[in-house]
Amino acid sequence: MSGVQAVHRAGGSGPGAAAGRAGSGAVVAVVGLFLALPIVVLVGRAVLGGGLPAAVGSAAVVDALTLSLATTAASLVLTIGLGTPLAYALARRRFRGSTLLETIVDLPIVLPPSVAGLALLLVFGRRGLLGEPLDELGIGIPFTTVAVVLAQTFVAAPFFIRSARAGLASVERDLEDAARVDGASEWQVFRWVTVALAAPALAAGVVMAWARALGEFGATIMFAGNVAGRTQTLPLVVYGEFQGGDLEASIAAAAILVLAAFGVLVAVRALHWGRALDAR
Amino acid sequence: MIGRGPARGLLFVLVGTGGLFAGCMPSTDVTVTVFAAASLRDAVDLAATAYTASVPGIRFLVSADSSAALRVQIEQGAPADLFLSADAVNPARLVDDGLADGAPIAFASADLAIVVPAGNPAGIGDPMDLARAGTRIIAAGPEVPITAYADRLVAELAGLDGYPVDFAERYAANVHSREDNARAVIAKVELGEGDAGIVYEPDARASSATWTIPLPDGVRIAATYAGVVVRGAGAAEAARAFLAWLAGPDGGSVLAGLGFERAGAVAIPAGALMP
Repeated sequence: MSGVQAVHRAGGSGPGAAAGRAGSGAVVAVVGLFLALPIVVLVGRAVLGGGLPAAVGSAAVVDALTLSLATTAASLVLTIGLGTPLAYALARRRFRGSTLLETIVDLPIVLPPSVAGLALLLVFGRRGLLGEPLDELGIGIPFTTVAVVLAQTFVAAPFFIRSARAGLASVERDLEDAARVDGASEWQVFRWVTVALAAPALAAGVVMAWARALGEFGATIMFAGNVAGRTQTLPLVVYGEFQGGDLEASIAAAAILVLAAFGVLVAVRALHWGRALDAR
Repeated sequence: MIGRGPARGLLFVLVGTGGLFAGCMPSTDVTVTVFAAASLRDAVDLAATAYTASVPGIRFLVSADSSAALRVQIEQGAPADLFLSADAVNPARLVDDGLADGAPIAFASADLAIVVPAGNPAGIGDPMDLARAGTRIIAAGPEVPITAYADRLVAELAGLDGYPVDFAERYAANVHSREDNARAVIAKVELGEGDAGIVYEPDARASSATWTIPLPDGVRIAATYAGVVVRGAGAAEAARAFLAWLAGPDGGSVLAGLGFERAGAVAIPAGALMP
């Protein structure tokens, strides 16, 4: 929006100002429509076509929604539990290979999810690097609910680690030292100073990672398959029902995902985390 | 909540013993995971409902996709109990890989059909029109079983009087899109994304958004559906019993209602690789 306003100001006094305003207004309208129309039509069709109300009673959609909520909760626990120490280390210390590690952490963000799924299979698959010995022990990870969680964590954790790293790095060390001088323990410093000050960035990271995990499709279908009730999350219902199933169920599942994504963005803005997101 | 499958699986993750979820879930019921060809999707749902009515305590989890894709998933360690394929080739490959428990059993067959979107916007009047310039054909990928059957149908049509000698080449040149499985082919034809496609007759019968173009007299390609129990299946006995039921008269009558025919429950000997 600010770019559009700048154009208005720049052309404000010339003879072509009105034409410029109309032109940029048209561009805004076209781009806005291009981005909004598919989403509006999708949600509109889900609501007006009766697909969304019907989906509430559809086992495929309800099972997938339950599975999506449960698996994203688990991947979020893994992401926060393992990602916070990593983000802290990356934010506070320079060590041999820290730049390489940062690049590796960022890689899943730009990697096509199908590549992530294939890579996970090559490690955990029945004939994979770790999968083969695990298989001998009778432990099979691919194509289970566990695989769904691993796929989600693999693609979503970088969003949290990135945001947490930036947030933790921006905390003033002087404030931590001041708390130490006042007799705070290391845990108290971490919990009540470092985490408290980095909270907006941590929260933004959590929300973005959750949204990414919820929408995860490519790695899931390759690494976890598409078994209703076990690995079929909402995005897989969108695909599976479109592929010769029930188109209305596909639209309903898609609408639920749109509403969830919209809710995430509204929550981020409402809780004043927008600044942390923009600064990433 | 804790008693439900996904939630229990998550607990396993949280305590770091993940991976055991599928195999060791203590339960009084038996869960049979069926990997079924996309064209069997409705049939398996219907058969499972009928079967559980007579054999209580069994729950079915179904994953429907191209038989080739499902076979690859099983090779990669997917915990399927029963693999129901739209051909005999993919089950045979599991046998070759040592991933099958027993010989595959042919349990059903289905004819092929040519479908066009309802209203027939491209005016396909005859199978010959599949080779007409500009006809947009929806087909499936090279590994998908329907593709091998469709190629046989096209080859048979090409040999008929009045068909151009290069009918097969012209048909191939008209292929507009290749889908992941047979159900996706008919879904795209239903949406009008193509002018025609070759699908399984039961799918054509179930679709109200497509019309079927009759085949010339005497032209008939039948697809053979074969099932096999997967080695190491957690519910091997239940899977075997269900497969036998499916191949028998009770399963046959359920499948017949959808347009499938019985295949005589023939065990397919090793090395018989006709699709």
